[in-house]
Amino acid sequence: MNRPGVRSRHTTYLSTAQRPQRLERALRTSDVDDAELAQAAARGDSDAFGGLIERHAMAARRAARAILRDEDDADDAVQEGMLAAWRAIERYDPNRPFRPWLMRIVVNAALDARRRGRVRHAEPIAETLESPGLGPDRLADATLLRAKLDAGLAALPERQRIALVLFDAEGWGHAEIAATLGVPEGTVRSYVFHARRAMRRALGTLAEGMK
Amino acid sequence: MTMSPFDHQRDEELGRLLREQLSGSRPEAFLERMRLAVAGSARPNGMEVLAGWARPRVMALAVAAGLLLWLGAWFTTSEFSSEPGVTVASLPSHKLVNPQPPAVDEIMAALLAGGGR
Repeated sequence: MNRPGVRSRHTTYLSTAQRPQRLERALRTSDVDDAELAQAAARGDSDAFGGLIERHAMAARRAARAILRDEDDADDAVQEGMLAAWRAIERYDPNRPFRPWLMRIVVNAALDARRRGRVRHAEPIAETLESPGLGPDRLADATLLRAKLDAGLAALPERQRIALVLFDAEGWGHAEIAATLGVPEGTVRSYVFHARRAMRRALGTLAEGMK
Repeated sequence: MTMSPFDHQRDEELGRLLREQLSGSRPEAFLERMRLAVAGSARPNGMEVLAGWARPRVMALAVAAGLLLWLGAWFTTSEFSSEPGVTVASLPSHKLVNPQPPAVDEIMAALLAGGGR
């Protein structure tokens, strides 16, 4: 059975009877699924958890930035979430997809940081959008696009923002996003629908010019 | 941009813009920070988890038990302290045998005399 976010386990390593206690880095890249790494991490292998960080930390960072809108706050929240996941890894059920489990912890850490008012400031985060080799006109368009993208994201309700980022930027399925947010799949579809409509209004025709 | 709210396929263009907007700077440094944070954080063993779970609950149970004891003691004391109210019946004997009901000021005086004991 194919579960979202979990690859099949037909590898030589996994069929070996005598499994080493610590997974080798080379095996951790593509042919070992998240659940295997999580199980190794639960046995105390911090390198295995490092492999999970490599796979999922950037998506977690983007989701946290979508919530907190500040790079430092987002990184703090991701670190807090990762540490919480590391401490709770024994409670992860390997029969369920790992990504939503981890992302839920990170999203909750970001939401908690926001609720506790620890957010430093909410400045536009547009400066990181790279636009190399653009002429002055195109650069101005790109700058305006960044500003509108940032404003559009800021105007979205929190959960719509998370759903949009996970769906369109990370390519997650509705079911995984629903598991992350703890809402039905239909609600996620609604979130994405409304978020896209709002973003279309916010971006207008600018994005066409960026193609 | 090929964005349609009715389209449940992934919007590659919007996804690319969002990734660029939200990825942040120096991703390698960020990943290294996360790895180091985890490597420097020992995971609690089973007993520590159990102790961490038990400590606040034991405290809560102790507080609840203390509250129950205090409430029990308070109710017991209230029963004894309500005894002076019984002295309503201890009106002067000549009033009890009197066929006329006592006047209000006589009842109040008896109550006050009973409360003063």
